[in-house]
Amino acid sequence: MEANVEVKAKEVIKSPSGFSVVWRELIKDKLALISLIFLIGVTAFVYGTAIFLDQEEIVKVDLFSIYEPPGEEFILGTDYGGRDVFGQLIIGTRNSLSIAILVTLMTGIIGIIYGLVSGYFGGHIDNIMMRILDFFLILPFTMIVIAFVAIVPKYSVWTFSLIMTAFLWMGIARLVRSKALAEKELDYIQAARTLGTSNFKVVFKHLLPNVSSIIIVNMTINLAGNIGLESGLSFLGFGFPESTPSLGTLLSYARNPQTLEFRWWIWVPASLMILLLMLAVNNVGTALRRAVDARQRRG
Amino acid sequence: MAEKLLEIKNLKTSFRIKDDYFAAVDDVSLNVNKNEVLAIVGESGCGKSALAFSIMGLHTRAKMEGDILYKGENIVGISPSKLNKLRGKHMGMIFQDPLTALNPLMIIGDQIGEALLLHNKEMSKTQRKEKVIDLLNKVGIPRPEYVYEQFPHELSGGMRQRVVIATAIANEPELLIADEPTTALDVTIQSQILDLIKDLKDDMNSGIVLITHDLGVVAEMADRVAVMYAGEIVEIAEVTELFEEPLHPYTRSLFNSVPNASEEQDRLHVIQGIVPSLQNLPRTGCRFAPRIPWIDESAHEAHPELHEVKPGHFVRCTCYKHFRFPEEVGKEEEHHGVS
Repeated sequence: MEANVEVKAKEVIKSPSGFSVVWRELIKDKLALISLIFLIGVTAFVYGTAIFLDQEEIVKVDLFSIYEPPGEEFILGTDYGGRDVFGQLIIGTRNSLSIAILVTLMTGIIGIIYGLVSGYFGGHIDNIMMRILDFFLILPFTMIVIAFVAIVPKYSVWTFSLIMTAFLWMGIARLVRSKALAEKELDYIQAARTLGTSNFKVVFKHLLPNVSSIIIVNMTINLAGNIGLESGLSFLGFGFPESTPSLGTLLSYARNPQTLEFRWWIWVPASLMILLLMLAVNNVGTALRRAVDARQRRG
Repeated sequence: MAEKLLEIKNLKTSFRIKDDYFAAVDDVSLNVNKNEVLAIVGESGCGKSALAFSIMGLHTRAKMEGDILYKGENIVGISPSKLNKLRGKHMGMIFQDPLTALNPLMIIGDQIGEALLLHNKEMSKTQRKEKVIDLLNKVGIPRPEYVYEQFPHELSGGMRQRVVIATAIANEPELLIADEPTTALDVTIQSQILDLIKDLKDDMNSGIVLITHDLGVVAEMADRVAVMYAGEIVEIAEVTELFEEPLHPYTRSLFNSVPNASEEQDRLHVIQGIVPSLQNLPRTGCRFAPRIPWIDESAHEAHPELHEVKPGHFVRCTCYKHFRFPEEVGKEEEHHGVS
C-alpha cells in the first residue's frame, strides 16, 4: 500500500509566480538568455557612458581628422566631418533605444486604454471607436511623418516619439480589443459586476490583468520593430539631423557610394548594432510568448 | 402573507438580432417573498438565465420593459451607480460555472474581500480579512487562512463554488439569485452545496431565486416553483401542489421525462422537438403547441393567459384540460377496441 506516503498538512505548495515561469523559460532557451544579457549589457553601457560623453563634443566637426580609419585615437575611425564614430555609435544607440522604448510605452498606453474601452463596452461605442481606428490605419505612415518633419521646427527625441506614436498605436489597440471582447464574456466579469463593482474598476482591476500577458509580449515585439522603424526613417533623412546621432543617421552615411565601398567603419558597426538589437529583442519576446502560454512552454 | 421582497411586473427583455428585437423574457410577472425559495425550471434556452440577468441588471444591450420592484423600488432603468449600490449589498448572484466565475489572477481573499471593500468603506484591512475568513468558514472551506492566499486554479470545482457563494453572501444580501448553482458539480458535492444554500437562507432570512433544470433539486429546495417555457411562465404553484398535480402539458412532459427507477423502461420519455430559437419563436397562441402536435388546435387558446385553477396555482392556456401523452391515447383506444 501507499500508506507510507505522508502528506504534511502544513506544507504549502505555491504555484510558480509569473517571474519564475519566465525565468525557467529563459534558462531553457539559451539563445533568449544570451539575448537578454546582451540587451541589458548594451543598455547599461550605452546609458552609463552617455552620462560622461558630451554630445556637443562628439558632433563637433574636426577638419583635421576626416575619414580616419579605426586606430589608436579613434577606435572606430571618423566620418566625413572628422567626428568620432564610436562616440556617435554610443549616443546613437542611446537615442534609438530611447525612442523605441518611448514609442513602445506610449503606443502601449494609448492602445491598451483604447482597446479595453472599445472591447469592454462594445456595441455602438466599439463601432465608432473602431471606425476611427480604421481611419488612422489607412493613413500613409511614411508620407505623414515626412510632412510632420517639415512642419515641426525643432526636432528632439520627444517630438519624434510623439509623431511616431500618433500613427503606431492602432495595432496594439486592435489586439487588446479582440482579447477584451473574448474575456468580458466570461462569468467572472459578470460576477464582479453583480458585486456592485463600477465599470471603471471592472476594466482596470479585472479585465486588464487578464489580458496583460499578451500585451507584454506584443510590446516586446513592438520594441524591436520600433528600433528598425526609427533607423529606417533616419536613413531616409526624415529622422534626426546629424547633430543628433542615432543608429539611422550613422547608417545613412552609407548612401554615399564611396563610404559604402571603402569606409566600412562608419556604417557597419551601426548596422550590426541594429541587427543584434532587433534579434535580441525578438528572441526575448518569443521566449516571453512561450512563457505566457502554458501549451508552448519548454521550461 | 409573507413580505414581498421582489416583485416583477410584466417584464420583457428583448435582444437585438439583425435590426429586430426579440423578447427572451416575455411578459413575466413574479413575486419573491422573504425567506422563500422560488425555483424557476425549464429547458435550456427558455429564458431562465435571461430573467436572472435582468434582475441583476447585467444585460448591457438588451431592451427592458416592465418593472422590477425591489422592496417597492423600481430597478429597471435606474442609473448604474444606484444599481451598483444595490448589487452586492442587497442582491447577490451565484453563477453556474465555478470554473469561470472567479478571476483567475486574484487570490481568493481579494475576490471575497472585493464585495466587502465596495460596500463597507469604513472597514479596516484586518477586519476585512477576519470577515473573509469567517465567510470561508461559513461555507465550509477547511483551512481558510491557507485558502485565503490561494488562486482559483488551486481549488477544486466544489471548493470554488463555495468561494463563489461566499462572495455572493459577503454582505448578507436579502435576495440571492442562484443560476444553476450545481449544474457543473458532481452529485455528492451537489447535495452539500444545496444544503449550504438552504442553511444560509435560514440564517439570513433572505429570498432565493433558484434557477435549475433539475427537478430533484426543485423538490428538495423550493417553496414555490415557476415553470418557464419560451420566455413565458406556463405554470406557477407551491412545490407540493406542483409535484402532486402538474397541469400544464409542458410541466407534465418535464415530469414524464424524468427516468423512473422503479419501473422498467426500454426508452426514456422525451419531449418532441426542441425549444425554438429566439427568432423562430411563435409569438401568438400557445407556444408549446408545436411540440404536442397530437393535441387538437381547438384545445389551445388564441391568447393564452395565466388562469388561477386553485389558490396559488396558475396555468397558462386551456390545453392542459385536453392534454394526454400519446402512449396514454394509444392505450385508451385499445381499451375501447376491446370493449
